[in-house]
Amino acid sequence: MRFIKNLQHSIESNSTNNVLCINNTYYTYKEFATEIKKIRFAIENDIAASEKLIGLVTNDDIQTYASIIALWLEGKAYVPVNPDTPIDRNYHIFELTKTKYVIDSSKELVYNDLNIINSTTLTKEYPNLVPKEIPENDLAYILFTSGTTGVPKGVPITFSNVQALVDSIDAEPEFNLTNSDRCLQMFELTFDFSVVTYLFPILSGSCMYTIPKEAIKYFYIFKLIKSKKLTVLTMVPSIINYLRPYFNEINEPSVRYCSFGGGALHSDIAKEWSDCLPNCKIFNYYGPTEFTVYSGFYPYHKETHTKAHNGIIAIGTPQKDTLYLVVDNENSEVAIGKTGELCLAGPQITPGYWENEERNKVSFFIKEVENKKIRYYKTGDLCLKDHDGDFLYVGRADFQVKIRGYRVELSEIEFHAKAKSKLKVNMVALDILNKLGNAELGLAIESAPFDTKELFDYMKTKMPNYMIPMHVTFLKEFPHSLNGKIDRKELKKHFNIN
Amino acid sequence: MTREDVLTKVTSAFATILEHNNFKLTDTTTTDDVDGWESITHMMIISEIEKVFSIKFKLMDLMNMNNVGDLLDVIQSEI
Repeated sequence: MRFIKNLQHSIESNSTNNVLCINNTYYTYKEFATEIKKIRFAIENDIAASEKLIGLVTNDDIQTYASIIALWLEGKAYVPVNPDTPIDRNYHIFELTKTKYVIDSSKELVYNDLNIINSTTLTKEYPNLVPKEIPENDLAYILFTSGTTGVPKGVPITFSNVQALVDSIDAEPEFNLTNSDRCLQMFELTFDFSVVTYLFPILSGSCMYTIPKEAIKYFYIFKLIKSKKLTVLTMVPSIINYLRPYFNEINEPSVRYCSFGGGALHSDIAKEWSDCLPNCKIFNYYGPTEFTVYSGFYPYHKETHTKAHNGIIAIGTPQKDTLYLVVDNENSEVAIGKTGELCLAGPQITPGYWENEERNKVSFFIKEVENKKIRYYKTGDLCLKDHDGDFLYVGRADFQVKIRGYRVELSEIEFHAKAKSKLKVNMVALDILNKLGNAELGLAIESAPFDTKELFDYMKTKMPNYMIPMHVTFLKEFPHSLNGKIDRKELKKHFNIN
Repeated sequence: MTREDVLTKVTSAFATILEHNNFKLTDTTTTDDVDGWESITHMMIISEIEKVFSIKFKLMDLMNMNNVGDLLDVIQSEI
């Protein structure tokens, strides 16, 4: 696999450069190589060759990043779990993937039902970083996203998927990292956006700057930009929404690139943010986890490239080897300018949800074009294509929402909220915009007010923190639309969150 | 206004936003020590404090705030 060989070369040839800055401590590529070799030795000696899916507890430390590279050199996939997520959910993920081994650098090791490799206590080193021969359809990672029935959905990504992502970013002349770049890595490693924020810096020998878990994210990011003179930012738009009240104090000429993704970027704030970064190119990326992070982008420029629909910046055009298709309910292409569901095809497409045939039948379809069978993924995003060939984002086709960049199925929250409630009442989870324009979760309950502590305590054992509603409201009766459905728009008005 | 008075008002701002008073704020208290104090609620707490004291924080002050003691220092320098 070419990109893994390139990882090896980059790590070896940049040995005196820094690879990571974690909480103000720097680590060089040489130290990184040593950690990778130790973990590789343990993988080689402790894990059966037939075991391909290996658990990884995602701490903010050099061992966790080294584990990913060590697993890849050995041709194995990482199944990441966040140590702050309820252990029930993490065990569930390991059960679904039949994972028997977990690499963990935590102080306290909790996955005692599995074979644990403690990556902080290893001493013996594998002799080198030469990658094994890897079949291209073997998996590189599996990420789990929120599912509708309370069961998280697994998205497997192959080594050839990742290679295709690397090829399409390499083909983009406007974006070139060098080994003197200083890159923001703000993402938790269970979040698919993290793949681009560790993979591309390591491939180019540049340094990643992470965010400590206890820090107030947006302030810490600004502190890093300012004090470390970061040159490359990759962020979800909600970060700049939080910083917006302070834009007049921000002027950072060091930043060369700023890529957005994982949520709608609004025109007004993009313009103001662009004013804060006078030497920066801004990219508005689009792409679902199922298509290996990115599928395309729009090159925003506050004067020359400001295309938007309903105030949301365009998602532009598909990247190299990727096809976009906007379809109606019958999966037939709609006319230019007409709204439909965006579908993606190309070498970055996942082989399909993990052991979920039912879901796969709904989310993927095959279309014959010029005697070639092309497999498409249905994103659930409503888009339209304009006469220039640019794609514009319109909205979601279902009840999936983005909370701080994370994909959340509202029905999963409702499922867990209702599961333990003694009162069998109707509950609806909603995304509500706060005054900064960020979505927060609310739970509407059709009942006289009652103490929700037990209900919330239960939800906290089943879902990660970002999925727990922050606001609760009780209504005697839910508003309904003319066709008898619960009127979610009207319901949102019952939350007074600002 | 004494530091004690500031602390009392800050404590009540925290309780208003977090909807509980299951905490005791001291100079060394950080986000780790208070249930529900994280990125989003921090923003809301900051707005509430700005309202209560009729002040406006600077980004430079906010980015260097590591604990409640730092917060109290900045408030005292502003009022």
